[in-house]
Amino acid sequence: MEFNFDPVLQSWRFLLDGLRVTLILSGGVALCSFIFGTLVGLARRYGPEWLRVILVFYIDSMRAIPVLVVLVWVYFALPAITGWNLPPFWSALFALSFHLAAYVAEVIRAGIESVRPGQVRAGLALGMSGPQIVRMIVLPQAIVRMMPAFGSLLSLAIKDTAIAAVIAVPELMRRADAVAGQSYAPVEVFSTVMIIYFLIIFPVTRAVDMVYKRIAFLGRS
Amino acid sequence: MNLDWSIIPASAGALARGALITIALTVLTMTIAVPCGIGVAMLRESKFRPVAFLATCFVELFRNLPIILVVYWAFYVMPVVFGIAFSPFITGLVALSLNNTAYNSETFRSGIKSIRKGQTEAALALGMSEGQAFRQIVLPQAWRRVLPVLATTWVTLFKDTSLVSVIAVGDLAHTAMQIRSQSFRVIEMLTAMAAIYWLLGYPQAKIADWIHKKFGVTE
Amino acid sequence: MTAATLAMQSAPRVVLQYRDVRKLYGDFVALSGVSMEVERGQVVCLIGPSGSGKSTLLRCTNALESLDGGELLFDGIPLPKDAASIRKVRQRMGMVFQNFELFPHKTAIQNIMMGPKTVLGLSEQESRARAEALLVKVGLSDKPENYPANLSGGQQQRVAIARALAMEPEVMLFDEPTSALDPETIGEVLNVMKALADDGMTMVVVTHEMTFARRVADHVVVFESGRILEQGPPTQIFDAPQQARTRDFLGHLGWDA
Repeated sequence: MEFNFDPVLQSWRFLLDGLRVTLILSGGVALCSFIFGTLVGLARRYGPEWLRVILVFYIDSMRAIPVLVVLVWVYFALPAITGWNLPPFWSALFALSFHLAAYVAEVIRAGIESVRPGQVRAGLALGMSGPQIVRMIVLPQAIVRMMPAFGSLLSLAIKDTAIAAVIAVPELMRRADAVAGQSYAPVEVFSTVMIIYFLIIFPVTRAVDMVYKRIAFLGRS
Repeated sequence: MNLDWSIIPASAGALARGALITIALTVLTMTIAVPCGIGVAMLRESKFRPVAFLATCFVELFRNLPIILVVYWAFYVMPVVFGIAFSPFITGLVALSLNNTAYNSETFRSGIKSIRKGQTEAALALGMSEGQAFRQIVLPQAWRRVLPVLATTWVTLFKDTSLVSVIAVGDLAHTAMQIRSQSFRVIEMLTAMAAIYWLLGYPQAKIADWIHKKFGVTE
Repeated sequence: MTAATLAMQSAPRVVLQYRDVRKLYGDFVALSGVSMEVERGQVVCLIGPSGSGKSTLLRCTNALESLDGGELLFDGIPLPKDAASIRKVRQRMGMVFQNFELFPHKTAIQNIMMGPKTVLGLSEQESRARAEALLVKVGLSDKPENYPANLSGGQQQRVAIARALAMEPEVMLFDEPTSALDPETIGEVLNVMKALADDGMTMVVVTHEMTFARRVADHVVVFESGRILEQGPPTQIFDAPQQARTRDFLGHLGWDA
C-alpha cells in the first residue's frame, strides 16, 4: 500500500480555511443552542401548562428526527415556504442549533430535578422567595451537576457541523470531500481530516472532564 | 406555493423499503455493537498493558469523531485495506458499528465500575475465581445500570443511520431525497421524510423513557 | 458436629501466625510490623481507633490485600501467591463484611447456596439442605425466599454469616460486623456470633463492641497506627491495661478501666 500525502499538503490552506469555518460554526451552534435550550428548559420546568405542552412536543420531536433531516428541511423546504433565502452557513447555524437546543433543554431539566427537594425546603424555611431559591440555591448546584452532560453536548455540536457538508457549507468535511474527489487520494485526505477532528474534539471532552473533577463537590448536597 | 401531496402515497412503497433499511441498519448495528462493546470494555481492563492501551485508543478515537466522517472514511479505506469492493450498506454498517462499539464499551465500563468493590470481595472471600465473581455477581447487577443508557444509545443510533445516505445506502433519508430530486416536490417530500422519522422515532424515544423509569437507579 | 470440625480437633494448635506483617498504601504505612498468633478454637478481637490497621490485617489474612513485608502463615504454611491456591485457602476461611455485601439479585437462601454450589460444586439438593440448616442456626428459617432489600440490617448480616458458614470454614473473619447496624439489631447478630464461639469456631473479629469483646474473646489485641499497642486476655486489657494509651482509648469509648 502506497500513501501519497502530496494532495493534502498542497491543499493545506484550503483545508485550513475549512477548519476555520468549522470552528466558527461550532462556536455559533454551541452558543445559540445553549441560550435557546436554557430558556426552553427553564420555561418547561417553571412555565405555564400550555407552554409546557408545546415545548415537550418540540423536545421529543428533536429526539426522533435526525439532524440531517432538520438541516435539509431548513435549507430546502423553508425557503420554498417562506421565501427567505438563507445562505448555507446561516441555515446550518439555525438548523443545528434548533436541534441541539432540545438536548440542552433536557440536560437543564434533569439537572434541576436532581437537586434535592430538601434544599428548596431549607430555602423556604429561611423565608426566601421562589425566584431567589431557583437563582441562588437550585441553579448553582444544578449547573455543576450538568457539566459533564454539557461537555458531551459541546463535542456533539462540533461533530454535527460536519453534517453541514451536505448543504455545501464550506467547512472542513466539505473541503475534505472536494480535495479527495480531485486528487484521487481519498484515504490520505480523509485520514488526515480524521486526525484533525480528533485533535479538536478530544481536548474539549478532556478539558470538561478536568474542570468537572475540580468543582464537582460544589454540586453535592 | 403549489403543493401536491399525492407524491407521498405514490412513493409509499419506496419509502417503506427505505424505512425497512433504516430499521435493519439499526438492529444489525446494535447486534454487533453490544457484544463488541462488552469485549472492548473487558480489553480495557486487561492486565496486559499494551492491549488495554490499544483498546482505550480505539474507544477515544471513535467517540471523538463525527459519524459522517467515519462513513466517508470507511467508504474509501475499506476497499483499499481489504482489496474488495463492499456494498454501501456494509460500509455504512461497519462505520456505525465502530462508532457504537466505542460508545457501548464506555457504557459497560462505567456500569461495571458502578458496582461496589465489596460485592466482588464477598464473592472472592467465598473462594470464587475472578471470572466467576464477574460473571455471576457483577455482570447481572451491571445490566440494570446499563440498560437505560443502551436504550438512549439505540434512539441516537436510529437517527444516525440517516448519515449513511451520503454514500447512497438506500435508507429512508436517501430514498426520500432521491424522490425529491426526481419529482421536484421539495416541501412535500422533505416534510414527509421528517414525519416518517418522527412516527418511527417518537415511540422509540418514549420506550427509552419508560426503560429509564423502570431501571433507573436512585442511590 | 461436622467431619471438618472433628478433623480440626486433631490438628495443630496454632491456626494463624502473623510475623512482622507490613502493608503500605503508597506512602501511608497501614501495618508496620505486626506479630501475633491465633490458636484453634480461640476468639481473637482486634480493637483500636479507626485507621489503626485492624481491618487491613483482616483483609491480608484471606489475601484480599497483599503483604508488603513479613509473613502470614495459615496452618503453618505461608499464604500462596498464585490465584488457584489462594482460592483454595479462601474456601477454608469465611469472611463477614461491615456492609453485609449480600448479593442483591439473589434471595437469602440463594446467597447461602452460592458458595457450595458455585465453588464447591455441590448439587442443588445438597446446597439447599446445607443452606436450610444454616438458616435455622441463625434464626431465619422463615425467610429463605426474601431478597436482601426485604430484610432488616440485622437479618441481612445473619444471612451473610450463614453464607460464610456454608463453606464449612476453619476460621471465620469478621470485619466490624455490627458497625452498620441499628442498635436494636446489633444484639441478634452478636448472639449468633457468641453461639458460633461456643461451638468452638476459630474467630478473628474486628469490632467496636467492647462488651462483646470482654465477654466472648479469649484474646484481645489493641491496635494503634499500624502496630500492636498491647495484647492479652480480656481481663488484662479491659480491667488492668498495661499501656497508658490503651486506657486512653478505652476511656474515650466510655469504658472505665
